[in-house]
Amino acid sequence: MAYTYSKIASYTVGSGGVSNVDLLAIPQNYTDLVLKMSIRFDQAYEQANIDIRFNYDFGSNYSVRRLRGTGSAANSDSVSGTSITIGYGAGDTLTANTFGNAELYIPNYTGSNYKSVNGDAVTENNATAAWAVLQAGLWSNTAAINSISIICGGKWKQYSTFTLYGVKAEV
Amino acid sequence: MSVISLKYKSKSGNLTAPGDVDPGAFIPIATTTLTTSTATISFTGIPQNYEHLQIRGILRSDRAGQPKDQLRMQLNSDTGSNYTTHLLSGDGTAAYAAANVGATFINNNSVTGATSTASMYGTVVMDILDYANTNKYTVVRFLSGYDTSGAGTVELDSGVWLNTAAVTSISIVTIGNMIQYSQLALYGIKRAGA
Repeated sequence: MAYTYSKIASYTVGSGGVSNVDLLAIPQNYTDLVLKMSIRFDQAYEQANIDIRFNYDFGSNYSVRRLRGTGSAANSDSVSGTSITIGYGAGDTLTANTFGNAELYIPNYTGSNYKSVNGDAVTENNATAAWAVLQAGLWSNTAAINSISIICGGKWKQYSTFTLYGVKAEV
Repeated sequence: MSVISLKYKSKSGNLTAPGDVDPGAFIPIATTTLTTSTATISFTGIPQNYEHLQIRGILRSDRAGQPKDQLRMQLNSDTGSNYTTHLLSGDGTAAYAAANVGATFINNNSVTGATSTASMYGTVVMDILDYANTNKYTVVRFLSGYDTSGAGTVELDSGVWLNTAAVTSISIVTIGNMIQYSQLALYGIKRAGA
């Protein structure tokens, strides 16, 4: 029996936190990937970037178009650089025990075209200010994706979780 | 099955690398499809052995005189002022953001109402990550919207339930009653080793 949605691996941050989470040796036998994250970082801000890099590509090969809300205002922008910012993680000035909720969808990750991705990420807070970001991104590289690095400026806090799923198009 | 190895290269933590690829991680738990107008759809006795939950649905209500209605979610029958919602929406003309702090529910505005074009339902996907983790408040992320070929909304919303208890029940209401053919389906997403 074949399955269409399979968990590849999950990671829970332990005591002390971690700066990066690298998912390596991603199997190449799925059609799409889904990365779900419940995350909080240790910096004294309301939010900071959730940056994604593929295959350790540190070149200026990433671009993203975003729709963003702050809880009181909405805007849209575009950014190019050395990673894709898929949204914001919950910073340590937000309501305690509250982790951001994010998902990145990577269709056709083994294909030979540039890689289009989309994601949505929210932070929460028992106050007006919190971020919601909907983004469409591009990695300008034709290589199959075999690793994903999830980076924040400080450290991902204990109990942050990262789970990678593979989606098969054919049964 | 081949053994899959995912290495974690940063500071040590609780990496769960599966020996074999875990098949079939997305599991249907319960589905409610309305045959008549109903005030509340509830999921109770939610199994605690999944990593995440997802609810997918289509909703329309009989809210009189209104083209849209509001979905309201409560967890574990908590009717206190223990919820906050943040909304990001677009209506085809402009984008909006708003917050509802210290409310008695988490809300989303993608339900079509009585005066909306006939047979049009709003669509919604709700993600509840780490719902059984008692070290976190519960945060729900909504991706939703509808288009009636002349009006509509697209939304990315979030809500927090200010309680670290594991989620065991979810109740959904609207201001009106949800009508026939409205449907909500609850899925569990497996955790490592499950």
